Amino acid sequence: MTASDPDLKSALMKVAAGDRAALRVIYEALAPSMLGVALRVVKRRELAEDVVQEGFVKIWRNAHRYDPSLGPPKAWLFAIIRNQSLNLLRDGRREDLVDQVPEPEGEAVEAFLAAERLPDSGRLKHCLEGLEPQRRNSLLMAYVDGFSHGEIAGRLAVPLGTVKAWIRRSLLSLRECMG
Amino acid sequence: MTPQEILIAEAGEYVAGLMSPMEAENFERMIATDANTRAAVAMWREKLMPLDETAPQVAPTPALWDRIERAIGDEPMVKPTGQGFFTRLAGLWADVGALRLGSMAGALAALVLAVVLVVRPDAPPLKPTVVAVLNNPTTQEPMAIVEAFADGRVRVVHLRDVAVPEGRTMQVWTLWDRQVGPRSVGLLERPVERQFQTSGFPQPTGNQLFEITLEPAGGSPTGRPTGPILCVGRATTPL
Repeated sequence: MTASDPDLKSALMKVAAGDRAALRVIYEALAPSMLGVALRVVKRRELAEDVVQEGFVKIWRNAHRYDPSLGPPKAWLFAIIRNQSLNLLRDGRREDLVDQVPEPEGEAVEAFLAAERLPDSGRLKHCLEGLEPQRRNSLLMAYVDGFSHGEIAGRLAVPLGTVKAWIRRSLLSLRECMG
Repeated sequence: MTPQEILIAEAGEYVAGLMSPMEAENFERMIATDANTRAAVAMWREKLMPLDETAPQVAPTPALWDRIERAIGDEPMVKPTGQGFFTRLAGLWADVGALRLGSMAGALAALVLAVVLVVRPDAPPLKPTVVAVLNNPTTQEPMAIVEAFADGRVRVVHLRDVAVPEGRTMQVWTLWDRQVGPRSVGLLERPVERQFQTSGFPQPTGNQLFEITLEPAGGSPTGRPTGPILCVGRATTPL
């Protein structure tokens, strides 16, 4: 099920007024994607469900704060989920994750998959392809996998300062390319 | 890099989740106050969202919705209304990043609150009827704690320094009934602990709203809050 921006906007307004059915509408429309987004960061199904649960509590509490000047409603909702995923990692559970889920060294599979799955017609795919591969990957590893500068530097075996510079340059190139 | 390029890069780092909690907190202040920063964040959110849409669809376990419903079970709602007290709050929307901070800030506030309640040696024997943690509406940082007592006393304890500009004062307000509207508790020149004696107010109740606004020296000329909200929160009954 997909939901258009106007649908989500009106659902958020109703949620802000205390309407649980409207929260359920958002859940039906986006929970599977949100779980997928969370899973890419936290790597484990049960943790991803924790993220989505907390995310919906935040949506419930903060729907009245949604402001279109901060982007489309869907982007706002996904941002809540990505932030919540990072929170969960920062809360100290990352150690467990690393112990229990062996991750491939030196690469970030999710980041690559995400880039491949982008619609061919989209501007983002075109502009990402214009970036030098390691720079592109640094940015995707941050956004998609939730890695920090330090983690990316470790995985790509380059100095921290280099990763920071790569990502900044990538962002500026993307901005220019996407217009 | 030009200042505009720095802004674009920083907004991108923020949206990509690359800032430390401290950096993000500072950046969120800019989001709240600067339209350019807000626009840069909105731009990145919109442009990068297709990446979120590439995530695999994962069907939630049926219990997940029940867990959400339980979690929000008896949450008090802060509802924006068409007019009045909350309209300005709605205008001062907060960024989602602030929500992430909010959870940490809430934990901190709870800790501070526990310390304030337990440790304060000069506390009168009377227990507060309600306690409220007042958060910055944008960053969700806990700014102050309000304790309201059955005998009409209202005590305000500040958690963060606030710079009060020349010719302005902080004013503490409470709202227990939308029909009555917000009522002034008192003025504060500086963020120091202060106890106010109120009279003519009903007994404090859970969910009663407290807020501190910045007003002209001498207090709001209209008897209603006119200035920016420094912090706001709802009261709860301590155990």
